[in-house]
Amino acid sequence: MNSMTIKYETSLKFSMSRLIRLVMMALCVAIPVAVQAAAPGITGTTFKLTAQTAYISQPDGQSIYSWGYGCDTSYTPTYAPSNIPGTCSSMQVPGPTLIVTEGQTVTVTLNNSLPASAGNTSILFPGFKVTPSGGVAGLLTQEAIPGGTVSYTFVASTPGTRAYYSGTQSDLQVEMGLYGAIIVLPKNIPGACTSGLAAKNLAAQGHWGEFDFRLAPAAYDHAKSCYDREYLFQFAEMDPNIHSQADAQVAAAGNCTAGALGCSLNVPTEPYHPAYFLINGRSMPDDMDSNYAAQYPHQPYNGNPHMHPGEQVLLRIVGQGRWQHPFHEHANHVRILARDGNLILSQSDATQLAGPLLFTTTTTPGLAMDGIFYYTGRGLNWDMYGHHPGSTNPNATLPCIPDANGYNTGDPTAINYYEWCQDHNKPLQVAPFGDVNGGGPVTLPDANILTNGAWYGGSPYFGPDATVRAVGSTGVTPPSGTIANSPSTEAGYAFMWHSHNEREITTNNAFPGGMMMMMLVDSREFVIDESK
Amino acid sequence: MLNLSIFERMLMTLLMSICAGTAIAASFRVQCPTSTITHPVAANNNTEPSYVGPTVLAPGANGYLTPTANVNGAIKCQQISGGDGYATMGDGTQTYMFSFSPLSGLADMAMGLPGTQFPSVFNTVYSGSTPLVPGDPATTIGATSLPLSSAQLSSLSTFYNGAIGQVPDIDNGNLIDGHVDPRQIMDIGVMNGNIPAPLMAIDEDDEFFLTLTNVGMIMRPDLFEQHTVHFHGYPNASALYDGVPDASVAINIGGSFTYYYLAPDAGTYFWHCHITPPEHLQMGMVGQIYVRPRQNRVPATTTLYAALQQQQNDPRTACNSASDILCSNPLPAVNTGAKGGGKYAYNDGDGSTYYDVEYPIQIHGFDPNFHFVGMTFNPEGFADMKDKYFLLNGRSYPDTVTPGPLQTQSSDGVKHFSQPLPSIINIPAGGRALLRISDLDVTEYQTLASLGIPMNVIAINAKLLRDQAGNNLNYNTNSITLAGGESIDVVLDTSIPKPDGTAYKTGEVYYLYTPNLDHLANDAENFGGLMTEVHIN
Repeated sequence: MNSMTIKYETSLKFSMSRLIRLVMMALCVAIPVAVQAAAPGITGTTFKLTAQTAYISQPDGQSIYSWGYGCDTSYTPTYAPSNIPGTCSSMQVPGPTLIVTEGQTVTVTLNNSLPASAGNTSILFPGFKVTPSGGVAGLLTQEAIPGGTVSYTFVASTPGTRAYYSGTQSDLQVEMGLYGAIIVLPKNIPGACTSGLAAKNLAAQGHWGEFDFRLAPAAYDHAKSCYDREYLFQFAEMDPNIHSQADAQVAAAGNCTAGALGCSLNVPTEPYHPAYFLINGRSMPDDMDSNYAAQYPHQPYNGNPHMHPGEQVLLRIVGQGRWQHPFHEHANHVRILARDGNLILSQSDATQLAGPLLFTTTTTPGLAMDGIFYYTGRGLNWDMYGHHPGSTNPNATLPCIPDANGYNTGDPTAINYYEWCQDHNKPLQVAPFGDVNGGGPVTLPDANILTNGAWYGGSPYFGPDATVRAVGSTGVTPPSGTIANSPSTEAGYAFMWHSHNEREITTNNAFPGGMMMMMLVDSREFVIDESK
Repeated sequence: MLNLSIFERMLMTLLMSICAGTAIAASFRVQCPTSTITHPVAANNNTEPSYVGPTVLAPGANGYLTPTANVNGAIKCQQISGGDGYATMGDGTQTYMFSFSPLSGLADMAMGLPGTQFPSVFNTVYSGSTPLVPGDPATTIGATSLPLSSAQLSSLSTFYNGAIGQVPDIDNGNLIDGHVDPRQIMDIGVMNGNIPAPLMAIDEDDEFFLTLTNVGMIMRPDLFEQHTVHFHGYPNASALYDGVPDASVAINIGGSFTYYYLAPDAGTYFWHCHITPPEHLQMGMVGQIYVRPRQNRVPATTTLYAALQQQQNDPRTACNSASDILCSNPLPAVNTGAKGGGKYAYNDGDGSTYYDVEYPIQIHGFDPNFHFVGMTFNPEGFADMKDKYFLLNGRSYPDTVTPGPLQTQSSDGVKHFSQPLPSIINIPAGGRALLRISDLDVTEYQTLASLGIPMNVIAINAKLLRDQAGNNLNYNTNSITLAGGESIDVVLDTSIPKPDGTAYKTGEVYYLYTPNLDHLANDAENFGGLMTEVHIN
């Protein structure tokens, strides 16, 4: 009897959560299609939104009654980036990401299509001077009555990422899903963001047939805000009990007349016991399916970042909901550029940044942060490309010519573009059996005493070329037999990005799930296609 | 009562059956080379040389750069076991843990020091007059009650610090090559859990070889649980050594795996198992690691500013705001002229992170219900996890101020040093204490406040607080708030007079405590919790 069988039987007997975990793992890697992310949304200066109900899908099989902003059916939105075909349903969580440009006058019209018993609704746009029109007066802004509309007009005065959310009975309405993000692109792109290394990184993408999926080359009108790739993550948690009570009370109220006696909800929002922990409205593993995936008609946005070494990656991180979440980015720090669209600059030199460097970016309700992340492998002390001077394989003997910062950036078409040159050809293993350099510091143990993960690239080395040279085209197959990071086609370095309040990487008590995703650093041969 | 010796025998049988199926029989082993490409001269790798400039590299015969002068750093090794054990809570309750335990530096660990060793110590064979036995070093030195007597402390100071199991390899000319005797490893490593997990400390430019040996969880033989080590916050890690089982390899029961890193930038990091994190972290598989800066090795005759300028000459150690958005310690805006010879938290170039004494402090929390369920084969719930013990280095007040290790009798009937690290802060009057605070709580944010001495926050998440133009951004506060997965460096500076103008004096006592008032409790006891004392000596 092998050990897997023993584990299964004892798990069944003693620990249902472990059984669920096994099943969840099997589910989450069932369709290992390489999927990417970007920061898609709708663009223009006039947005027609509606607030509606729908059931959103969770990986434990539950459909959760929710409220969300969507696109009014009378309106045909324009999608950005233009090379990612989008959809905008009449209800989605989070609401449509609104993409505008600095200086534009923006008008958002909201139609309240929530059930009459849910009462009025509205949108707050913190960070902008908003002029509402229509609707009725509410506590924080003008509100749309059931069936009615309200408009909000503001000038997108400064660039950056910000949250928007309901300003009406927020404890219930934000919990139900009425939130979203607005991105203001800078009007003046600094020259540094379209020349030098930024241009070379773009050329490298182009050489391998990758499209440019950025909304802009810079996050701000500032030369330190250039980026090569971008992702938007909105964090929120959900207490299913609140949602089911809202569902039941709305059903009980039926087609009541707004404002009539009894045509209202009385859903307690305390005590609060969230069981779902969402990034962009989805729990892991659903968040790693594609943007606009057909199986999530009301949760169009994903969380599945990919990047190549050296690319400056803009993270737009928004706290929604009501709790803080310590979002831990494995593999490097994040330089926080700005909070709520406010650049954090040195007091003595406005050309220099002063935001913190964080490996855990705490999300806070209503707060948006922009930050830059990158991965290069600098300082590993071994050649992650597994170069081998004695090889007859030309890819194993590529040169590495350091620039002033030590990286191989001379030739954007090279497979090892942006390699860290100080470790070039330096071996990891004492005596590797494949076509990689030997004489290094460590001996890897017999693979039989290890269990490989679905996202393990199959070898210590980076990219399919190095991995196939080191261990052959099959790599080392995980016990599950499931490969989500193929040794022969991707072999990226996978890192987990997740809430470090670890109980939040669960879905309704089952691990894995919740606020978790895998980030893939991919070698140049792997084409990152954010439209998938 | 469970007969654990039978359990152990069953486990050993299982291990042997696994071994029998593989070509390489020894699945337990340690790795600690005495020399490497980066540190080529074995004799030089057992001390930290002075830093006089970047390592000089030149192309070697094998196609890569090799050092030719100014070899910086040394080799450091450590061994830990992954398994289970028990700890004693502030109300006297024995709590079951999934946990790591020391398999090197046993004596140092018991004295509250890191278990990290140079090869000259790690690669020695145990030669005590009696064999190593379960509970060691507590059993051999006769630590039946606490605090330890001076005689016991004296025996501890000469106790073995090498790698448990290290024996001459009879198949390889009796060399010390990492071959181990698994019996010693099982005797010491089983049911020996520590909270926090073994302390690690390395210096910039070191190569670090950390061997994780999975001895199995005796109380939960149903689980066949793998373990890993995630070095939390390490920049530019490889996926293989990042410890995420989904993205790399996890170590099965009966196996050893050696994690290899060139030390990253100086800072307060921390580490933990990354298998089923809500479970393994809650259950206790959390530890501390920090990296000391090269600035500690700058000779007393050299200015720190000049030494930091030297670091700019090597792209690996350089920090250039113009080209690297993640550069955290550019040259300071002001050259203070401060010279080397002291201890610093970061390569600040101006002496601003100087300290006299340092204390690693880890914030954590235990949910006794979850731990009970974890011990008793019941289904675990995650959403309603609620900590009831609030821990500083695995202890609640008043255990936090008990000097020396805490002991717990495990279900093997033997007392083990379960919580080796006190969290009492002793500061010489007029001195500066560096608190390396990390948090691995898995459920909620916790606040730690200083009643009296201001907290000067010098770094967050292992990065010096300095803007890209070189201005220091350290600040005073009286409380810091962390979630699991964050770290912060705080200096308590008693060289600055109190607000009334008087100096801090020997004998004064101050408090670190949590203003999360419901965390000032040890489960049902409305007393204790996340609190410790600061003594001026």
